[in-house]
Amino acid sequence: MEITALKEKLKQQIIDYLNLIDVEPADLQEDSPLFGPDGDLGLDSIDSVELLVLLEREYELKITDPKEGRKVLIDVNSMAQYIIDNVEAK
Amino acid sequence: MYIIDMSCISAQDTYNNAIFEEGVKVQTEAQYWAVEPKYKKMIPLNLLRRMSKSVRMGVGTGIPLIDQFKDSLDGIIIGSANGSIKKSVSFLNQIVEYNEGTLTPTDFIQSTSNSIAGTLALMGKITGYNNTHVNNGIAFESAILDALLLFEEKSAKRLLLGGVEEISQANYNVDSLRGMFKDVVVDSTQLLDSNTPGSVSGEGAALFVVDAEPSEAAVAQIIDVAQIVHPTSAEVLAKAKLFLERNKLTTDDIDALFLGYNGNSETDHYYNELQENLFPTQAVYVYKNLVADYYTVSSFAVWLAANLFLGKKMPSEVIKKAPTKPTERILIYNHYEGTQHGFILMSRP
Repeated sequence: MEITALKEKLKQQIIDYLNLIDVEPADLQEDSPLFGPDGDLGLDSIDSVELLVLLEREYELKITDPKEGRKVLIDVNSMAQYIIDNVEAK
Repeated sequence: MYIIDMSCISAQDTYNNAIFEEGVKVQTEAQYWAVEPKYKKMIPLNLLRRMSKSVRMGVGTGIPLIDQFKDSLDGIIIGSANGSIKKSVSFLNQIVEYNEGTLTPTDFIQSTSNSIAGTLALMGKITGYNNTHVNNGIAFESAILDALLLFEEKSAKRLLLGGVEEISQANYNVDSLRGMFKDVVVDSTQLLDSNTPGSVSGEGAALFVVDAEPSEAAVAQIIDVAQIVHPTSAEVLAKAKLFLERNKLTTDDIDALFLGYNGNSETDHYYNELQENLFPTQAVYVYKNLVADYYTVSSFAVWLAANLFLGKKMPSEVIKKAPTKPTERILIYNHYEGTQHGFILMSRP
């Protein structure tokens, strides 16, 4: 899987799953934190569940360990890398 | 109890009260969609993106009132039979589609009827009484009763009270299959004379700030409320008389009726019989030709009646029989599909 194409696809999926209003894929910085005050989106705990559902439905990747989830849901880069590492490992 | 302020989103331009200056919008579809304000100016985008339509309308209607009265509100009571049926259907479909796997929380959170009152409470930091009534065509009447009881037992002095309902394609389709709506769509100018089976589908939100005690700010009083289910026409008449007697009134004390005519050939007779037998000389106002039918449409009737007391000129479309004297007391009578019937007694404060 080519990571640049994956990131673009992932950005659109994040926008769709979280119903982000007035946000385009180009607006999502790949290294900008998804959560917390430093992020552009200001996501919260409900959004984290939505993103876990995204990974499960779109990539068949199920994260059940909260510690693992915190490492994956940092930014678009970390999510994409997690997908690359685990989809290819399957 | 006394209405001191109110706000309304409906299929008409009610949010900014333009309906009273610019007139009534003619509806030409089988669904009368709400005219929604620009929410982005009043609801943070992070909240707005998750909101179902019913929550959006309820919050959009409530925000101006919350902003003004949040420090003095003792609670929130909403009537909403369905909440967000669209989100409910989406949630249920996911259970099937993803084989009972992990489900997204947002659809579930936004689907429930009490999301409206809950979201308003969170946004206004109103930690008092919070309740939602969901009993179909008398959900708003039940919310009124709840408020009256709270005031009577002196558990509250000021409440936010309202009714909210949304149209969804899913429930429209299901209700259509069981004959809820008219087969042949007529525009809203012909609706009340259509005399065919079924109604038309509507949505909206009307919220009121109500006080236990009268004041200079009061624009209308809600004196009492009554409900009856599955009655005959004779039982409706008897209920109306008992309702007035309970409030030490006779039919002559009522100056105007607000009736929920919808052109349904099977159920409009309830309104005809009430009006002809008990209130033959009183003024008659109608409202479903403006906003169609929904479970909590009587909240729109209360909003309209309160505006009449405020001195707003009623659009000609709502006047079925013109008044011949000043209006001091109004009886709202509404039923849903002829099964659930509600009476709301109002007066000038």
